[in-house]
Amino acid sequence: MIVIVDYNMGNTGSILNMIKKAGGEAIISSDPEQIKNADKLILPGVGAFDAGMQNLAKLGLINVFRRQVTEQKTPVLGICLGLQLLTERSEEGIFQGLGLVDASTVRFKFVSSSGLRIPHMGWNSVVVRKESPLFCDMYPDPVFYFVHSYHVVCRNAEDVLSTTNYGYDFVSSLQSGNILGTQFHPEKSHKYGLKLMKNFVELVH
Amino acid sequence: MFDSEISKAQKSGSEYMNHQSYRICKRCVMDTTDPEILFYENGYCNHCTQALKKLRSLPSGQEKANKLSTLVQEIKEKGIEKKYDCIIGVSGGVDSSFVAYTVKQLGLRPLAIHLDNGWDSELAVKNIENICKKLEIDLYTYVIDWEEFKDLQLAFLKSSTPDSEIPSDHAITAILFQRALQEDVKYILIGTNTATESIGVNAWSQGHADWKYIKSIHRQFGTKQLETFPHYSIFDLMKWKILNRVRLIRILDYIEYDKLEAKSILQKEICWKDYGDKHHESVYTKFFQAYILPTKFGFDKRKSHLSSLICADQITRDQALRELKKELYPPQELKEHIDYVINKFGLSKGEFDSIMNTPPKTYWQYPNYKKTWYYKTSRAIYRVAKRLLNP
Amino acid sequence: MTLNVRVIPVLLLKNGGLVKTVGFKDMTYVGDPINAVKIFNDKEVDELLFIDIQATKENKRPNFELVSRIGREAFMPFGYGGGIRNLDDMSRLFRLGVEKVSLNSYAIENPDFMEEAAHNFGSQSVVASIDVKTDALGRHWVFDYRNGSATKLDPVEFAVLMERKGAGEILLNSVDRDGTFDGYDIEIIRKVTLSVKVPIIALGGAGKLEDLGKAVKMGGASAVAAGSFFVFHGKHRAVLITYPDKDDLRKTFSS
Repeated sequence: MIVIVDYNMGNTGSILNMIKKAGGEAIISSDPEQIKNADKLILPGVGAFDAGMQNLAKLGLINVFRRQVTEQKTPVLGICLGLQLLTERSEEGIFQGLGLVDASTVRFKFVSSSGLRIPHMGWNSVVVRKESPLFCDMYPDPVFYFVHSYHVVCRNAEDVLSTTNYGYDFVSSLQSGNILGTQFHPEKSHKYGLKLMKNFVELVH
Repeated sequence: MFDSEISKAQKSGSEYMNHQSYRICKRCVMDTTDPEILFYENGYCNHCTQALKKLRSLPSGQEKANKLSTLVQEIKEKGIEKKYDCIIGVSGGVDSSFVAYTVKQLGLRPLAIHLDNGWDSELAVKNIENICKKLEIDLYTYVIDWEEFKDLQLAFLKSSTPDSEIPSDHAITAILFQRALQEDVKYILIGTNTATESIGVNAWSQGHADWKYIKSIHRQFGTKQLETFPHYSIFDLMKWKILNRVRLIRILDYIEYDKLEAKSILQKEICWKDYGDKHHESVYTKFFQAYILPTKFGFDKRKSHLSSLICADQITRDQALRELKKELYPPQELKEHIDYVINKFGLSKGEFDSIMNTPPKTYWQYPNYKKTWYYKTSRAIYRVAKRLLNP
Repeated sequence: MTLNVRVIPVLLLKNGGLVKTVGFKDMTYVGDPINAVKIFNDKEVDELLFIDIQATKENKRPNFELVSRIGREAFMPFGYGGGIRNLDDMSRLFRLGVEKVSLNSYAIENPDFMEEAAHNFGSQSVVASIDVKTDALGRHWVFDYRNGSATKLDPVEFAVLMERKGAGEILLNSVDRDGTFDGYDIEIIRKVTLSVKVPIIALGGAGKLEDLGKAVKMGGASAVAAGSFFVFHGKHRAVLITYPDKDDLRKTFSS
């Protein structure tokens, strides 16, 4: 059973719908017991960094989540803000992140003459940098839906799963052991997202 | 010869429980899932026998070609100085799409009409777009009020009768005629054809033109008023046909119509896309025919479609049997469609299950035209009038 | 930069059904929203935007039941606007799967609410929807659809204010061009795109593929939206859902 962590931030409904369409089973929950028994976890997220960390703390989910990921090695997929919360810190907020990956979250920085607007919003190409079950059998030239003003920077180049270009190449997804994360929203990315989600559902633990 | 027995069976409101043990025709693939099927001694059934008789009575070769050119001439003449000389219904399916193609080939000036009942698949919509753009045909769409239509469709589902397409079929006929009158067009060219649809099973489907029947089902199971739903009475139909002289013509009966060939021509000429089985341009039709019919009512409409093709020599019986072995609905897609339909109707899973578990009923168990004295009388009058006015 | 220009169908809702307007009047019934979502899904459109045009006028709250059903069918981002006046409603919409919430009349009435919303949910989740109408002298004014008249607000100044209050995007809609197929109002689009840094979505008047390209190349819009263009076909304005081919779109957006 996949547990989609419900901390009041993020379109858990859409993720659930896509998992169902991908042939998987999932529940949306903020119950630590259910999180403990999950085969896989998804940490969704739409909103601000600090609000995210605060909600997780208020619901008493930080420790149980961390333990599942670090001790039980439960595969976890962080999506958008969910991915950013897995990092150590973010320029968007004052609180520390979950620190489960060797990375931090920074704001997009462009020269004013670039004409690029923030947030990075829309469909953009994703370039896969290493082998991963997440992108198994992916359609050629995959595009995914992004909407964010901050992005992740990995200290360890080996963790970078894919990059995307917006002014410069930034990390659009990462994988570090059992920890996976996408800056884009697979649940909003049509067939590309469906394929990725299907791969996550079928991931062997 | 068997007609009186057939009509007796119909009027008694026969149940769908098969009283015969299973038997399949030796020539086509119709079987005892039609509870009214009758077999001859040689193992052939009444369906293919009647179908073959019908097909053989149709003109062919030169005679067919002559009839076609006479018809086309007539349509063109009656249409001079009018914006359009004929009306065609388009659904995105192969039959109506080929009508559109043929009609343009024949040099006619059609107005295409589409009924949007809220169930169009993307493929259907794309096919219609291609038909109108590539063949340069003007389009008019009638969008049925979804809340009313949903209410009526749900009523039909709850009535447990086997043809849930009746609301759509009834509405499209109403719209085609109403628009024909508006545009002062005398010819409605439809895709129904004898070649691939020579076999119809009353027990499986009837009541399309029966507004009394439709209303009675709605009265019993509907919850909303039908204020805008397009409809007509048999008197309307008689008026349109006899007084207004609007003709409903099966144009595909005037040409050599082979479905496979038609599909290939359409694919090449207008990027038409095939979605597999008959009528699956509508998500609901597919769902109803490929899931509800076999599961709740115990029959598979493919049998009548394929048997028609056998009679028209377009496929062999072996090919038909192989087709029938194919899965009606891949399990993942079925799950998605069940969710989709339940979501669209606003039903709970429990309500849907209860609909599926309600025992089937027939057309005869609800008030309908055919039981009325005025239907029987007017039918007689209509037959006479038709013969007098259109010798 | 390989960020694709977004092409967004805008679907208007009234009484739970889809409608289309011309100049914000002359309503035509277009059908069931769920089927439209399904068709657009299959066409792999970039994004959808639903606007309930009745909610604010009738002081109604968002139609959560419908949004929930849309959320179950849509596998692309979709925004929702109409009748939104408090954070709880916004929160509920996000939980149902809405990607962005659009604020229109309430933003005119209470611009500080935009700030609250952006603070709570992040700028990228809130869109400022600005309707624009020209007067007899051709000057542009912000239009308030509640009373059907132009305000004394200058659209450029209002856009700048919305950006300052935290709107992540601005949807700029020309009332005059709504449903006309006459092309976008490039002039006002350009004025606004030059004044703010957040993405502008152009809306109102798209009639052909080239119009979409012009809004981006000449107007500077980051995304283009349309209603009638995707929903009507041909001279009889027959309801038929269409969406341009991806290759055709690429061609029209490249210089």
